[in-house]
Amino acid sequence: MTENLKNCWSVVTRNWTVYRKDFIANISPTVADPSLILISLGLGLGGFVQQVEGRSYMAFLAPGLVASTALFTSFFESSYGFYIRMTFESVFKAMLTTPITAGQIILGEYIWNFLKGAMMASGVTLFLLCFGLAPAWWSVFPAALLGGVIALPCAALGLLASSFVRNINQFQTVYSFLIAPIFYLSGVFFPLTPMPEAFRWAVLISPFTHGVRLMQQLFWHQLSWESVIVHGGALVAFSLALGLWSAKRLKAQLVT
Amino acid sequence: MSPILRAHQVKKSFGDFEALRGVDLEVKRGECVGLLGPNGAGKSTFINVTYGASLRSGGELEVFGLDPSKNSSQIKARLGVVPQENALDDALTVIENMRIFARFVGLTRIEADPRIEELLTYMALDHKKDAPIRSLSGGMKRRLAFVRALLSDPELLILDEPTTGLDPAVRHLLWQRVHDLRRRGKTILITTHYMHEAEMLCDRIVILNQGRIVDENTPRALIEKHSPGYVSIFHGDEGFANQLRGAVPSDWHVYRQQDTWCVRAPELNSLVDFQKSHALHSLQMRPANLEDVYLKLTGEELSQND
Repeated sequence: MTENLKNCWSVVTRNWTVYRKDFIANISPTVADPSLILISLGLGLGGFVQQVEGRSYMAFLAPGLVASTALFTSFFESSYGFYIRMTFESVFKAMLTTPITAGQIILGEYIWNFLKGAMMASGVTLFLLCFGLAPAWWSVFPAALLGGVIALPCAALGLLASSFVRNINQFQTVYSFLIAPIFYLSGVFFPLTPMPEAFRWAVLISPFTHGVRLMQQLFWHQLSWESVIVHGGALVAFSLALGLWSAKRLKAQLVT
Repeated sequence: MSPILRAHQVKKSFGDFEALRGVDLEVKRGECVGLLGPNGAGKSTFINVTYGASLRSGGELEVFGLDPSKNSSQIKARLGVVPQENALDDALTVIENMRIFARFVGLTRIEADPRIEELLTYMALDHKKDAPIRSLSGGMKRRLAFVRALLSDPELLILDEPTTGLDPAVRHLLWQRVHDLRRRGKTILITTHYMHEAEMLCDRIVILNQGRIVDENTPRALIEKHSPGYVSIFHGDEGFANQLRGAVPSDWHVYRQQDTWCVRAPELNSLVDFQKSHALHSLQMRPANLEDVYLKLTGEELSQND
């Protein structure tokens, strides 16, 4: 067991070592994207919007942006990032000559996505805190944890995509038809409650909706055990189901 | 003593394609075994199957007495691989790359650093310690792949075309190191297209063609069996070849090798006399070597997979 974890952790360390090399370039989109959305939608569009669920539009957007950061970080890392490591850089080919197994590589990638999601979510929460858009300094910690948990099913989508695409350009299709809808329709930009019932049920198929809901409740002091169990449970269930499926497919590609 | 590697009727298919059609092989401790064969003969497939990078479809296989499809981790802890692609992390420096790998093979930082230093010196790369991988030449990257394979001080070294595409100087250095490692008691399994080097280095040569072992033995025994004697090489057309065939004694051989014609005789003197008496000028006259054996056993035509 310890050997197992140690090997998974080596995979994480490898990714971190490479990531750290270009830290500023790697981390800047994380801050750039949410700030752009905050300015254009929060400040710009928000001027025409009175109040959303009892708060300013900026305050409504804030938690969704933290969740979105986890979504994008993990999806891109596990699609383009993973695929490049697997195909063009042969990183795993080299790893597989060492005692590390294919299963440990995949588990290591999930741990890496969890940590990266957590890191980015806490970064954006800190950023929002500067503008009074996050509840309190300590909220960085639960936001980080939740960011990591959101990253898991989203990474699973990316890894699954990696196991299906025939070339790197096909990720664009996955983005347009899967990730973009998930992002735009999960309650980040508008409250789901006034939407038709069919719509509200449909978006629950996306793990991201559950993550956004939890993040909003965290930011708005509305968290309840019930909601943590329901939405957290959904995130865990999606992670396990998609994660196991992706692992099965990728193992067969790593070890032929 | 039980063999390091024992393969019995090992098979591997990819869909309809049978890459290995029943390979039997034993490698003893301290032996250096060369796998020769045309591209697509199954050399790399066999190598991948031995350390669990690929799962066999049939047959029995034991490495260190363990089954690679079940215990690949334990097996890989005791061997080092130089894969066909270097697969180094381009963004990192030499030392960063090696430290990451040292971690993969279970070395602590304190154990790893002196070991890396020592191996970089051994492979004449100590001056490149802090250079980024992308600044290294092809030969340097290959040497670094050797450093990586040696980090864990493995008992078995698996080298998949270690010298392909390198300049002669680097090639010599690498073969010298392989020779040295063999002297230090490492067991070596190597694939290559360099017949001369394989002949000099390997205790045993295994020739693969279309997923089967065609023959195996010491280089000398293979030459004695399949192509004994001396060879003269000539340029010429089909008519010239027919003249040769008519002129040589019946126990000599005339055959085509790429765009040249070869005459093989059991003795050097008779071959020299033959050329003198027929006023023939050969391009080259030499003892028969492994390349003659190889071309004879794998067919002079390119195999269908090329």
